[in-house]
Amino acid sequence: MHSSPDKQSNAPIIEAINLGKKVSTSEGTLEILSSVDLIINPADTLAIMGTSGSGKSTLLSLLAALDEPTTGSVSLFGQPLAQLDEDGRAELRNQSIGFVFQSFQLLPGLTALENVMLPLELCGDKNAADAAQALLERVGLSNRTHHTPRQLSGGEQQRVALARAFVTEPGILFADEPTGNLDSKTGEQIVELLFELNREKQTTLVLVTHDEPLAALCQRTIRLEAGTVVCQS
Amino acid sequence: MSELKLALRLLYRDGRSGELTILVLALIIAVTSSTAIALFADRLQQTMGRQAADFLAADMVISSSSSIPESWWKKASELQLKQSSTTEFSSVLMENESLLLAGIKAVTDHYPLRGHLKTATSDLSNPEQTKKGPATLEAWIEPRILSALKLQIGDTLRVGEQPLKITRLITYEPDKGGDLYSLQPRVMINHADLESTHVIQPGSHIHYTAQFVGNERNLVEFKRWIKPKLNPSQRILDIYDERPRLGSALSRAERYLGLSSIIVVLIAGIAIAMATRRYGERHFNATALLRCLGCKQSKIIRLYALQFLILGGSASLLGCLLGWFAQEGLFQLLRDLLPTSIASASPFSLLFGFATGMVILVGFAMPPLLQLKRVSPLRLLRHDLDPLPSSGWLIYGLALSVIGLLVWYYTDDLRMTFTVIGGGLFAASIMAGIVWLLIKSSSKSFGRLDIGWRFGLQSLSRHPAKTISQILAFTVTLVAMILSFSVRNDLLDDWKAQLPESAPNHFAINIFANDRTPFQKLLEGQQIQSSRFFPVTRGRLVEINGIKVRKIVSKESTGARATQRQLSLTSSTTPPDGNQIIEGNWWKSDNEAVVSIEQKLAQSLKVSIGDKLTFTIGSEQMQVAISNIRSVNWDTMKPNFYFIFPPSALDAFPQTYLTSFYLPPGKKDFLNKLIEHFPAVTLLDVETLLNQFKMILSQLTAAINYLLYFALAAGFTVLFAAVYSTLDDRIHNSALMRTLGAKRSLIKKVQLIEFTVLGFISGLLALAISELILSLLYNQLFGMAHQLNLLLWFLTPLAGGLFVGLAGYVGIRHVMDLPPASILRNL
Repeated sequence: MHSSPDKQSNAPIIEAINLGKKVSTSEGTLEILSSVDLIINPADTLAIMGTSGSGKSTLLSLLAALDEPTTGSVSLFGQPLAQLDEDGRAELRNQSIGFVFQSFQLLPGLTALENVMLPLELCGDKNAADAAQALLERVGLSNRTHHTPRQLSGGEQQRVALARAFVTEPGILFADEPTGNLDSKTGEQIVELLFELNREKQTTLVLVTHDEPLAALCQRTIRLEAGTVVCQS
Repeated sequence: MSELKLALRLLYRDGRSGELTILVLALIIAVTSSTAIALFADRLQQTMGRQAADFLAADMVISSSSSIPESWWKKASELQLKQSSTTEFSSVLMENESLLLAGIKAVTDHYPLRGHLKTATSDLSNPEQTKKGPATLEAWIEPRILSALKLQIGDTLRVGEQPLKITRLITYEPDKGGDLYSLQPRVMINHADLESTHVIQPGSHIHYTAQFVGNERNLVEFKRWIKPKLNPSQRILDIYDERPRLGSALSRAERYLGLSSIIVVLIAGIAIAMATRRYGERHFNATALLRCLGCKQSKIIRLYALQFLILGGSASLLGCLLGWFAQEGLFQLLRDLLPTSIASASPFSLLFGFATGMVILVGFAMPPLLQLKRVSPLRLLRHDLDPLPSSGWLIYGLALSVIGLLVWYYTDDLRMTFTVIGGGLFAASIMAGIVWLLIKSSSKSFGRLDIGWRFGLQSLSRHPAKTISQILAFTVTLVAMILSFSVRNDLLDDWKAQLPESAPNHFAINIFANDRTPFQKLLEGQQIQSSRFFPVTRGRLVEINGIKVRKIVSKESTGARATQRQLSLTSSTTPPDGNQIIEGNWWKSDNEAVVSIEQKLAQSLKVSIGDKLTFTIGSEQMQVAISNIRSVNWDTMKPNFYFIFPPSALDAFPQTYLTSFYLPPGKKDFLNKLIEHFPAVTLLDVETLLNQFKMILSQLTAAINYLLYFALAAGFTVLFAAVYSTLDDRIHNSALMRTLGAKRSLIKKVQLIEFTVLGFISGLLALAISELILSLLYNQLFGMAHQLNLLLWFLTPLAGGLFVGLAGYVGIRHVMDLPPASILRNL
């Protein structure tokens, strides 16, 4: 298993300073995010809230090394992301970050087991299958391991995604509207599972949502409006 | 809002977002190439046809050994056919105490109706073109007559009793055929002087031709009217009858043009099918939304069909325009090789290009488009809910019908069309089966491979249907390219082999047995290489299995023509070069009562091994059994024979010898020396014929080369487009893998392996299929023997792997540096 470099230390896991993102469109430059400062400590649970288009997902992809900021900087586990090239960031994501997406983002051709094995296989783990199997059992899908995403319900797919996110025992987990594509009952089950796993693995959690009750489960909340942080609690 | 407006608006939005780029590109390529090829083929065909008509000096010719009845001329006038006639006979010229057997040709005022004569007064290298023969009391002669009869321009030459003034030297005569009169040194006179020569007497051996030009419909009607009136010595000639050698080269070239068109259309069709599929997949959501908003299935189909018609119409128009420029460019490039006046394109060809575009679009794009009709509005809630696929019969049926129609159009042979389509279907299912087995059997062993190989191969084995369809598409494209390449190479090699630089340009006939060795020595003394000396006995086939031959053969057939005259019979211990035994065996002993017969004549006479043939030679009859049937390569310009006997069979009969040799351009005077030494020998000069033939072949060669480049360029472009249209899923998956921590090098390796393996397998299959098709094609269509090309066996799988691998790699490389977030957002 892989553990994040600074999982046990008290140094901040994420340090974002003056973060901004602009994109150019046919009607000129659009500022999606501006002047965001944020520090996230180990085992923190943080909800990023805001209306649609407020820049939540953009902030998440910047913090998770999935995208590059136009201004400002992000350090993950003390490592300034600007110093890493795309492959360096990929390695960091593989070893220290887990993801859960609103649209599950499972590889359609792979079985549930193979989807969960994938991050371990990427770093050459020989016991990928055993670890993936164990985690699929933990999320209650021991009898669905050889099904492809198409053969699974939305809730089941998100469970597979959760298993995949936790299988590398990442230092931090990013979840982008994890219940957005699910009915409320299934959504509740997924949230429950997510927080359980989070506690078990002592993972730092950054959650993007516009769901108030879900945000309330987190220790901290920041609220975005038109790309700027309007409220932190 | 009207549906048209809505369709236009949707189309505009799609266009703006770049959704249509690949589809439009594929369509434009398809239409551009099919228009260019159709226009080019049409104009080349017309030009070649016109040139062929030049060789007849008319569009249609009646050849006869008796004068043409007045009623025929009248009928031709009624049909507004322009007319001319020629009268040819042999006559001995005697001037300055020298004798020469010349071929006299009396021509009427409108001769030649097609083509032109080239004549000169002094400088033979710079002749003048004329559309008219000699005036009355003038004679135009071939240059060698001057030296043979010690004459000069301006002297008088007596033909029969008529003195004529030599005014010009003939360097080119369009309709100089391969018969005896036209191969003797030519003297051309005006038809009006014919009577006063008093050469023509009852019983004289004379060859009359009536020549006609006019519009095609009237010519066809005239031909139909005249056919039943022909007696056995009369024939109607057009390019195919008159010049079997030229005819076969021309029809092979035409077939190659046709083949190229099918190939380009096929390649483009595949790209369009793949591009439309991608278009369809990317429009599932939009369609689901339209359905959700209350759009009926039929309206959805109408909306998309309208968009495709508008799109297809504009792309086809643009393609037509580009195609027109492309073929103009092609003619510009070829202008030194082609005749100065090129036929203009018929508007039909432009229309054909446009129609092809629309037909391909319907045939290849409709099936994936129809899938959109089945998109469920539920897809808005569940994105993975793909529409049910349209019926397989419909999808493949439409595309197959389009290909079938095209094959039928070009080959005009229904049986062959079914063979091609049936064979294609059979090959495709065998291929699909092989690939499926390959995938299934190898997937278990992936575990031991390194991660790049494992992921690359797994990604192929996880979607067998997708993999198979991609392999089929690449295979068909590669097959098309290989076919184009191989056929072109073999066609050119075959032509080259037929007519080497030193192809014999003279025939010597009537060499007496005693003269044979001295004749050969004289040639060798001048370092002139001759072919074999064949003994020749003149004889006639009169009975087959005891039945009179004229009761058996049908009118106007090869058999009829061969049995109405005396034939040159030869004997040989071995089959001559270029002859292949296709049935029966060559004789072991030289004194069997057997004969070897040429294949086409055997077919026409409906005879087979063991049948008894009776020949009349002089006053005697001889019966022999057919021991073998030979195929003969008539294009070699070497002596060829319908019948070959064992040597002892003809020993008892008078024999002369026949040979052919190549005389280099500077040694023409040697002919006079030969005639001086061997006055009885008849020399036939086939150089002009040979040059005409070589010229046409070099023009066809150049044209065919350009067509090949065109087909290859289209193939490569479309292969790229096809690879691109399969990239969406791959880009998404690789972005996801990068999110989970895969390095770019790994993703690149996976892609490279995946595409290279796809290409390699496609290359292997393409090779097997093209060898199969080639052997069929050569036998059925081109009449050539097919040989395996080892270089192709080595190169094709490699090239397939390299090219598809590279295309895939390049396709995905540009998104490698984009942050994964932006890819996941955009897809």
